[in-house]
Amino acid sequence: MAEAHLAPAGETAPRMDNSRGVSRAGRNDAIFHGLCFSAAMVLLATLAGLLISLLIGGWPALSHFGLGFFTSSVWDPVADEYGAAGPIVGTLITAFMAMVMAVPLAIGIAVFLVEFCPRAIAHWVAVAVELLAGIPSIVYGMWGLFVLAPWFAENVQMPLLMTLDPESFWGKLFYGIPNGANIFTASLILALMVLPYIASVFRELLLSVPTHVREAAYGMGCTPFEVVSSIMIPYVRRGAIGAVMLGLGRALGETMAVTFIIGNSHEFPTSLFASGSTIASTIANEFAEATGMHSAALVALGLVLFVITFVVLAAARLLIGREKH
Amino acid sequence: MSFDETQADTPTVMVAPPQSERVVDVRGLDFFYGKNQALFNVDLPVARNQITALIGPSGCGKSTLLRTLNKIYDLYPGQRATGQILFNGENMLNPRDEVDASQMANAGGVPIKGDVARLRARIGMVFQRPTPFPMSIYDNIAFGVRLHQKASKAEMDEIVERSLTRAALWNEVKDKLHTSGLGLSGGQQQRLCVARGIAVEPEVLLLDEPASALDPMSTAKLEATLMELKDSFTIVIVTHNLQQAARISDYTGFMLLGKMVEFRPSSEAFIKPETEAMRDYVTGRYG
Amino acid sequence: MSAPVKSAGFDRHMRRKLVNYIFVGLTTLATLVAVAGLVMILGSLMKNGLGGLGLHIFTMDQPAAGTEGGLKNAILGSLVLCAMGMIGAVVVGILAGTWLAEYGEGNKLASAVRFLNDVLLSAPSILVGLFIYEILVAPFGGFSAIAGAAALACLAAPVVTRTTEDILRLQANHLREAGMALGAGKGYVIRAIIWRASRTGLVTGALLGFARISGETAPLLFTALGNAFTSWDLTQPIGALPKVIYDFANSPYDDLRQLAWVGALLISFTVLSANIIGRALARGSNK
Repeated sequence: MAEAHLAPAGETAPRMDNSRGVSRAGRNDAIFHGLCFSAAMVLLATLAGLLISLLIGGWPALSHFGLGFFTSSVWDPVADEYGAAGPIVGTLITAFMAMVMAVPLAIGIAVFLVEFCPRAIAHWVAVAVELLAGIPSIVYGMWGLFVLAPWFAENVQMPLLMTLDPESFWGKLFYGIPNGANIFTASLILALMVLPYIASVFRELLLSVPTHVREAAYGMGCTPFEVVSSIMIPYVRRGAIGAVMLGLGRALGETMAVTFIIGNSHEFPTSLFASGSTIASTIANEFAEATGMHSAALVALGLVLFVITFVVLAAARLLIGREKH
Repeated sequence: MSFDETQADTPTVMVAPPQSERVVDVRGLDFFYGKNQALFNVDLPVARNQITALIGPSGCGKSTLLRTLNKIYDLYPGQRATGQILFNGENMLNPRDEVDASQMANAGGVPIKGDVARLRARIGMVFQRPTPFPMSIYDNIAFGVRLHQKASKAEMDEIVERSLTRAALWNEVKDKLHTSGLGLSGGQQQRLCVARGIAVEPEVLLLDEPASALDPMSTAKLEATLMELKDSFTIVIVTHNLQQAARISDYTGFMLLGKMVEFRPSSEAFIKPETEAMRDYVTGRYG
Repeated sequence: MSAPVKSAGFDRHMRRKLVNYIFVGLTTLATLVAVAGLVMILGSLMKNGLGGLGLHIFTMDQPAAGTEGGLKNAILGSLVLCAMGMIGAVVVGILAGTWLAEYGEGNKLASAVRFLNDVLLSAPSILVGLFIYEILVAPFGGFSAIAGAAALACLAAPVVTRTTEDILRLQANHLREAGMALGAGKGYVIRAIIWRASRTGLVTGALLGFARISGETAPLLFTALGNAFTSWDLTQPIGALPKVIYDFANSPYDDLRQLAWVGALLISFTVLSANIIGRALARGSNK
């Protein structure tokens, strides 16, 4: 590797009459190149280190519980029994529900900005959407806990509890302590958080549709709806799936906002309004106090999250492609 | 052939088709990109079932003029046109203007009433670069048809075959109708776009430099196709290729700096240009 | 044959128009939902946070419930953490971004770094906290400001790397060639010319990196841990604003919750300002 990155620097060394100048400039160039190269390797090492440390730290739990770690939903620090099914399922469900809510909204926003928004306000709307991405997740969490949850409990959960037969399908689906802290409200907050990420990638994708394709579609007498739904969205299909994956990656790993509002129970969630937990919220809540097997189990959970998000984010990047972004 | 009386006061040399033969009749058109005026008081009479060619050095406004005919410029805020664009006697630029009922009756048409989607269904367009949609060859053609009418599978098959045949592409693609239109060669893609354009049976077909991205062989095929099509359609073509205009067109409009300088039957226009500007252009002085 | 479009009936046409209007309405609604979300969150912050703002917030350490206090320890702690984190992130990020943009052309290793950096960009921050815990906290026997800063650096470095690479790629090649033609070495050209020409962009990258980490809580939970008193010892736990907000918001006491809102207001204001300035700079330098 050393020769590989030193060689180009040697080639570019300037020719000067003063031979000392040549060697000094050449050496400086080589040092600079080496520094840049090392910095890039630091990034690689970070990712590798992340994976290795999670593997080492989580191994005791994985080897001790085996497959049961993934299938059992008993998470009991007192008995030192750890099954991760609850948080894993909680993570997948909240992220999935968040995407179901966020994706249509994100498509709507992107299309509105690209096709319909009056030019005078387009810039400001785009800024507002970008700002939504800038709000720290802890603020989302607080807002969820102090504003959304009480409102949701009073205006959605209570009325549903009063009117639905608890034995009916709907009654069971919407069963839960009416305090607004449950997997549904957590998903709602997540949806709001990932919305701007998906919308902004989507917007850039729509803008990347070549003018002549768009004009050809309008030229046939298509309405804007037909142009967008039949031509532009299929045209950017690949990148659009990537944008969704990017949002999904964010939603899966989001920690603080969810920790505030999901209710933090390790039970396997049985209804939409049940409290639950995600991998990230479980780690955030327990790791600082954990020791021994408990700590190893939490790191193993982290490893699971790493694998899931890595696959999703890698797929997103491959689909979106570098140039389009 | 008669001199158009409305143009008596301008220096344009205009030998226009008679009023009753005009499908599209542009009168006194000004066009603006924001504050920049690109067309100045332009007239363009387009005769039914003829090929009208627009020529001129690049930047002369010929593409701009073409793009006003189906109002595709509407997509861009800041671009606007004033004047009259009569389509079967109905002014596209001001739907509230009185409609020339006799023209409308001639065409047997339904009024557009300012609806661009309806206008574009009747004035189709083929662009400079081939623009197959990201779908199969079959669907590229069916797509436009489905916008405007309900068709059974059998009817659609027939429309697809007929359109592709008329665009001289059927024999080349009949075995791969359900593969992506993007897999065709440039020339084939362009003829696919022509087929797509005519599948909805428009009255007018606009072509903006349709051969500029094609090799000579594909160009020849496209030209032959257009000659065939003029029996059923009215064609307006923008081209920078003089030979092409001379070969296929019935009328030629020469534009310069946003103005229509000469408009005459092609048979005369190229042989004895009347204005010095067109003479210079035909003899190659504009490059 | 004759023009099915014209006779296709108005039903189909009206239905298409109706669908389109509904579509426009829905996209507008989606945008309104997002804007409303932003307004509601900012509104809650103002309503609950502005009232508690005062000089004491910056001059007093965090209180126990029922006593008076501010957020001084947390604000200073956050400043220390972010400053150290940014130093690390800027050094690594700018050098790594430079390697990718200037030395990584057509290099497989560079493609891999670029790809993994993009993944790291969106990786869950809590995992970075775990990682730093495993390599800096557990082996060295305790939570520390250094560990917290390292975690933040890991999160900001990918942002700086990405922005740096993008911005350097925007620089025209003739700038590089002109420098080399004078006989300067490649590294010198990069430092003296390319970096200088990209100054604004590099600042943007740093600002966006700062915006990414200044509100981060998860990676600090088990690295910097938090400290109820102002501390300057980098080997000891240190307070952090997001961590205090988290603790206070989850406490049952109204006065502490009030402080949490104030902290949330401060931190949102900081992050949003960094975002706005960073994006404004980026737009300015792209023009």
